[in-house]
Amino acid sequence: MATPIIMPRQGISVETCIITEWHKKKGDRVEAGDILFSYETDKASFEEEAKESGVLLEIFFDADQEVPVLTPVGVIGEPGEDITPFLPENMAPGPAVEAAPDAPAVAGTDADADTAGGAADAAAGPDAAEQVPPVQEAQTLAAEELKISPRARNLAGKHHVDVRYAVPTGPEGRIIERDIHKLIETGPKVTAAAEAEYTALAQPVAGTGIGGRVTTKDLHQAAAGAAVGATAGTPGEVTAGGPQIPAAIEYQDQPLSNIRKLIAKAMHQSLANSAQLTLNTSFDATAILEYRKQLKAAQEELGLENITINDLVLFAVARTLVNYPALNAHFLDNTLRVFKNVHLGIAVDTDRGLMVPTLFDANLKSLNQLAQQAKRLISQAKAGSINPDELQGGTFTVTNLGTLGIESFTPILNPPQTGILGACAIEYKVKPVNGEYVHYPAMTLSLTIDHRAVDGAPAARFLQELKQNLENFPLLLAK
Amino acid sequence: MPRSQFISPEEVRQSGFIKFQDIPVNQYNKTIKEEKANYSTDDFMRIYRDMVYIREFETMLNLVKTTGGYNDVEYNYPGPAHLSIGQEASAVGQAYLLDEDDYIFGSHRSHGEIIAKGLSAIYKLSDEELLKIMREYWGGSTFAVVEKANPNASVKELAIDFLLYGALAEIFGRVTGFNLGMGGSMHAFFLPFGIYPNNAIVGGSGPIAAGAALFKKVNRKKGVVIANLGDGSMGCGPVWESLNFAAMEQYRELWDDEFKGGLPIIFNFFNNFYGMGGQTFGETMGYRELARVAAGVAANQMHVERIDGYDPLAVIDAYRRKLPVITEQNDGPVFLDVITYRFSGHSPSDASSYRTKEELDAWLAADPIILYKQKLVDAKVADEAAFAAIDEEVKTKMFKIYKLAIDMESSPRADLNSNPNFIGDMMFSNERVEKFDDRPCDVLIPKEENPRVQQIQKKVRVGIEDGKPVSKARVFQLRDGLFEAILDKFYTDPTLVAYGEDNRDWGGAFAVYRGLTESLPYHRFFNAPISEAAIAGSAVGYGLCGGRVIAELMYCDFLGRAGDEVFNQMSKWQSMSGGLLKMPVVLRVSVGSKYGAQHSQDWTSLCAHIPGLKVVFPVTPYDAKGLMNAALAGTDPVVFFESQRLYDVGELFHPEGVPEGYYEVPIGEPDIKRPGKDITILTIGATLYRALDAAKILEEKWGLSAEVIDARTIVPFNYEKVLESVQKTGRIVLSSDACERGSHLKDMAQTISELAFDYLDAPPVVVGARNWITPAHEFEEYFFPQPEWIIDAIHEKILPLDGHTATTNWTKNEQLRRQKYGV
Repeated sequence: MATPIIMPRQGISVETCIITEWHKKKGDRVEAGDILFSYETDKASFEEEAKESGVLLEIFFDADQEVPVLTPVGVIGEPGEDITPFLPENMAPGPAVEAAPDAPAVAGTDADADTAGGAADAAAGPDAAEQVPPVQEAQTLAAEELKISPRARNLAGKHHVDVRYAVPTGPEGRIIERDIHKLIETGPKVTAAAEAEYTALAQPVAGTGIGGRVTTKDLHQAAAGAAVGATAGTPGEVTAGGPQIPAAIEYQDQPLSNIRKLIAKAMHQSLANSAQLTLNTSFDATAILEYRKQLKAAQEELGLENITINDLVLFAVARTLVNYPALNAHFLDNTLRVFKNVHLGIAVDTDRGLMVPTLFDANLKSLNQLAQQAKRLISQAKAGSINPDELQGGTFTVTNLGTLGIESFTPILNPPQTGILGACAIEYKVKPVNGEYVHYPAMTLSLTIDHRAVDGAPAARFLQELKQNLENFPLLLAK
Repeated sequence: MPRSQFISPEEVRQSGFIKFQDIPVNQYNKTIKEEKANYSTDDFMRIYRDMVYIREFETMLNLVKTTGGYNDVEYNYPGPAHLSIGQEASAVGQAYLLDEDDYIFGSHRSHGEIIAKGLSAIYKLSDEELLKIMREYWGGSTFAVVEKANPNASVKELAIDFLLYGALAEIFGRVTGFNLGMGGSMHAFFLPFGIYPNNAIVGGSGPIAAGAALFKKVNRKKGVVIANLGDGSMGCGPVWESLNFAAMEQYRELWDDEFKGGLPIIFNFFNNFYGMGGQTFGETMGYRELARVAAGVAANQMHVERIDGYDPLAVIDAYRRKLPVITEQNDGPVFLDVITYRFSGHSPSDASSYRTKEELDAWLAADPIILYKQKLVDAKVADEAAFAAIDEEVKTKMFKIYKLAIDMESSPRADLNSNPNFIGDMMFSNERVEKFDDRPCDVLIPKEENPRVQQIQKKVRVGIEDGKPVSKARVFQLRDGLFEAILDKFYTDPTLVAYGEDNRDWGGAFAVYRGLTESLPYHRFFNAPISEAAIAGSAVGYGLCGGRVIAELMYCDFLGRAGDEVFNQMSKWQSMSGGLLKMPVVLRVSVGSKYGAQHSQDWTSLCAHIPGLKVVFPVTPYDAKGLMNAALAGTDPVVFFESQRLYDVGELFHPEGVPEGYYEVPIGEPDIKRPGKDITILTIGATLYRALDAAKILEEKWGLSAEVIDARTIVPFNYEKVLESVQKTGRIVLSSDACERGSHLKDMAQTISELAFDYLDAPPVVVGARNWITPAHEFEEYFFPQPEWIIDAIHEKILPLDGHTATTNWTKNEQLRRQKYGV
């Protein structure tokens, strides 16, 4: 009997998917388990296997087409069978297919194993130079705030471009058809993280990211090159005496893209709508560096994950946070929603912009489990294959600018969370020991809290306990 | 302005007196003994029976309305019941001499007239004729109900059952009613017995009946028309207009001998002294005696008399004397002031707060049924028992009919669940009738000898020749297109008549009819008085009787003067009749310009809003001729808009020119006047030409190719072409000269938004005239849409245009301000 091939629903927040490639042609014989087609959501890509054996009788949607979830995309059966009952217009989406994984229960088993050598810190620690709100929030806002004509939206869907990158030229800031055409032609193939800087550039920069997108790395290299060129090629005019007022100040008004507007709005709202206070401290990292050395040595023997310094920090945060419910919480209008377990957001810089996947129940995990899961989340976030449901639900966020040499900063809260911890670079400090100054590796911790939810002293006590735990890591493990 | 009539200053300036003749008041004074020469015993008794039928029918309805049942059988009837208890003698007396060729038109209080006229017709028709009528009516479905309920009855008995049942089922909204339940209490009618539509608008039947009388005269039909009006309607302008329309002197002075004489119509006022609660005698009217009015309308005083409507024999006597005035002397119209009185209230909710118990008791003491019976008993025509037997027979029959009409099984309502288009399918008849009669057309000369035809032959039928516009003098103009279509139909359909203000001799204010006078006798083409209600209303009567008519309102702005006739009558009778009536009426309406606030308005939207009207607005010679041909070939009312800006335009869109022969442009199909791909501009009316100018500017300045679509028709409207265009362009501006607020363009914009939402790159934008008075011509560029307005609207609302600076204000704030202040 002919069976429809249904577009699965990858997570409850996904409404449509785009078929990226058909691996079988109409008329091909397929066996159960064969890969039929690849598809992607706005955040991740997947492959769909045949559930039945037979002949691929019909394909309703070609590659690059956007398909509502739970819609039939094709039919498998035997030649001659009637496929009309499965035509998308004849079939209402059925409730049966529910492919969303129970996110917290899934253990990360498919983590990339390419984190060889000393790159462990870099792999785990996000290297974003900016604090941008998590992408998922930007998109939620986009759906509410974006002004776009139905025609432009359809065109964008057909050409698989992200309307948030379109520069609106329609009345009242509306994106209209011509803006999408422009996007298709010249499209800012640029990551969300690099976008703001990119639009400010006079000269285009070649992209090296996915699909030729310009990343922050490309921008920084280009900037370095330009600086060299400037000093070498155009010596500044030497002037003396009197005010030098140029005849005309040169500038160009560049309309903001929607993504930039949204980031601006989210940033401003975060600061405007909460009372943010940042506390800095540093701790002696000797213990965790020593412990990591031991882990590395025993890694193969014990079959452990490659556990990074960042993993140790995450572990310590998760175990410490359970004692400070006001920091593992959401500040809502009239209530403080306090969570039983710690669902740790991990800021990750990706080519698609900053993402914050959630490590659910982090306080219940062993160090090895936590490291495995963090690795999987980070690599899936970077690859774009992460389940959208794993991009929400965080109760506290850890962000790491240490690899970029940042000594201290003021992280911006991810509302409605009440706390975000920034981990900074390890630097050497000195302290008097027995009348002598000795140097030791120190890492700064920058904690931003929402003062509406929690006062300075309890936050300081959290930092203090975290510091103790990190300086005495083996004791923490024993707890 | 006939040149044959000389207005002499010497004569009209002479001193003297206008003399009136005495108006007879209740002069009938015959005894029963004297009347035995005119009536058999059966006749006397039948008159009594017919009055009792009316009394019982109305009493039954009154009980249903006030007690929720009749003879203890419950029924809930929420609809209207304007009863005529007390007025029976007037109705029966009127109907006594009339036959099925005599048409009665009535009011909201016409149950009695229906029953009286029906019983009179049944008495006069043979069994065979009756059976044929009943079996053919709705395929026999109404008859089947009464036949099944009373299988052994005689044909006459069945016919009475049929009459009472058909009327009552209609009142109760049953599909077995005379008009499928679509007319109801105030509109029931039955054409085969000469019972024509009854009207819920006070005085509404006045102009319609006049039109029916015109139909009878022009088409040489037998019989007279009775306009049954109430005394309250004497306060209505359209009633005065129709009195004059029926009495115009041209019928006597100018029409051909065969057609000489006023219209064959009796204006019968059932004068019960109240217009709802307003007392017309002594309070709301100035005439004191209603009959007085007629004396002022025409030199023959309309043969007016005041009759005692409480004596059926007095009314019959009047009709016996007045019918020959029309049928033999050709000296209509006749005016009768029939005094009567209703015992019941205006409607069951009427508490009669406006009259005293003494007054009511005095009239009850003069109950026409009781007095008539007493006179017959006294004159030994019959004894009490014979009358009691009639009373019993009537009551029994009425109860049987009542139970039949409320029974849902034998008398169901139209099933709008299984047939949701039941009413929709009746809104238009959508038929094609080339001519409504096969007789030769009355014309004065062969068509080819018509001077206008010969003049047009010399014209150039395209607007552009060798790349240059053809001069106004040489070009075949839009008005020529209209003329060709109309003249053609005058030589095809002998029933076609045309009239309006300044039509004959002048040729219409805008010269569309120039040349018609030479071809047509008066009875097909004449000047109407400045009576828009009578012009439009008589066209309704002419049309529903089965004749084709073109009525003209010189300016669109005068539509208000014919508001009821266009919006309540012309639009509604096809469907209120359950689809029995056709309405082959073309109402020409000209949209002015340069003439200020009361002569420049485009009211297509008002017409489009009213269900039951087709509305067209051609703006090219080709479309004008083609749409006029289509309108004149159909059976539906078409409000035919024309623009005074455009009567002289040549044909710019059909390079082969306007065809000389017959062709039709289908009603309901818009036309792409300029293909394009970037933006759609949809126009109604003369704005087309300004939209084309805008399209040119868009092309030249911004390389945008605009597709310009001319709606041509407003109702019905096939959206396919427009949607196709919008799917292509993604953008649409709609423009017309109608004021923007409530413009039909808004309706179209909304429909397009719904049907093409996913294709739209911007909301559809309407560019209409300002919500102001139309100012003097010198200010019109500030009032009517201009090409720049269209470009501004595109720039501000749809697609910002490089380097364009809007000269008109399209900001949100301005839009809100205008709405806030209603301007």
